Amino acid sequence: MLLSGTQAPNHKDDAALIAGIRAGDQSAMADLYDRYASVVYGVSLRVLANTTAAEDVVQEVFLQLWRNPQAFDADRGRLAPWLAVIARNRAIDLLRKRPLEDNIDEMPIATGVNLEDEAAQKLAVEKVRGVLVQLPQDQRKALEMAFFEGMTHTEIAGKTGEPLGTVKTRIRSGLLALRKVFA
Amino acid sequence: MNAHPQYAEALALYAMGTLDNPDGLVALEAHLGTCGDCRRELEALRADVALLALSATGPQPPARSRQRLLSAISAEPRLERRSPQRYTVGRLRPRWFTFAPVMVMLLLAVFSILLWRDVRNSRRELRRMHAQMDQMQAELEQKNRELAEAKMVRDLLHAPDAKQMVLVTRKTPAQPQMKMIYSPQKGCLLLMASNTPALPEDKIYELWLLPADGSAPMAAGWFKPDGKGNGMIFHKLKTAGIEAKGFAVTVEPASGSQSPTTPIVMEPAG
Repeated sequence: MLLSGTQAPNHKDDAALIAGIRAGDQSAMADLYDRYASVVYGVSLRVLANTTAAEDVVQEVFLQLWRNPQAFDADRGRLAPWLAVIARNRAIDLLRKRPLEDNIDEMPIATGVNLEDEAAQKLAVEKVRGVLVQLPQDQRKALEMAFFEGMTHTEIAGKTGEPLGTVKTRIRSGLLALRKVFA
Repeated sequence: MNAHPQYAEALALYAMGTLDNPDGLVALEAHLGTCGDCRRELEALRADVALLALSATGPQPPARSRQRLLSAISAEPRLERRSPQRYTVGRLRPRWFTFAPVMVMLLLAVFSILLWRDVRNSRRELRRMHAQMDQMQAELEQKNRELAEAKMVRDLLHAPDAKQMVLVTRKTPAQPQMKMIYSPQKGCLLLMASNTPALPEDKIYELWLLPADGSAPMAAGWFKPDGKGNGMIFHKLKTAGIEAKGFAVTVEPASGSQSPTTPIVMEPAG
């Protein structure tokens, strides 16, 4: 479901903002923050359940982007999912007390989902939340434990008492359910 | 999806960064190096993961967070980009002078690549070690849980106030019943009897192991039921590894017998 669609206005804006940041334009950084702080903060808060720690992740993610804007390639994906994944990974590292890396070198993410403006992004978020609500409770729990708590499938199996294979299957089919709704 | 099914679940965990099996991680990364279908599936799974992350989009952080960031970037020195240097047309430099900077840049580039590879490998190794530690921690916790369970079972069996009972459907008369566990490898067996009929003072119930090779029945312990018909045998055979084709219980003199002397009163069901 990789995206090959149109160049949307917001997408161009993202590229322009990144170009501004590359040129050292602080107002471009402020605009980008205003647009995506809720994504980075929301994910961090969900993982860490602590506002101070979540603010620290916000600070770190945007500061790293300021220092290394080349890490994001506007031709290969959108900023929103990219920032969301980086925020999640940083928050999990913090949660599990792993050493933080100095820069952001996450892979580009092409979701194939229309995220071209704020309304489209809200719609996509609501759609994903709708799928999650409809998943069987055990499956949703396994998916959330893996993603938002950073637990391995072995840890989830130990905590829930479910066989390892069942946990792995639930995680994968949960992800596929998200993909299916946008297919 | 055309990706290899045997990697399907590992790919999903890998996309989330929660694959905790170091051997599996190495094998999967090696496979990804050669399989385009699995690489494409991984990209698709990363996109699924990103949607999951986006679903947690929340409120704007407090205003102080924005101010903190803007203050921080104001304090960060930016590297100035140098405009390309113009050279005077028609003025030739000595050849070595022209190539020296190029050589230095090439050497720097090679050095940077080597350094980058080293850093990348170190990070990969660090991630692998973290995954290994997480797995070991999980295994340790699992073992501790199993040990705690085993201790609880042992304590229950040895509890002075432990009562044995068999639950049956209502209005069913209590039937003699013997439950048995036998491990040929350990050469041990455990038999727990309930509701067995009382015996005369000079009689016992004796258990016989019927070897699979057809040799003579082997005495495997005895018991005398208590007032409620309960009894137990824990018996260790002289040699381990004896396969049994069956077991039987007979009533024997209190002194025990070398071989069964009365008809079988209990044997395995089916």
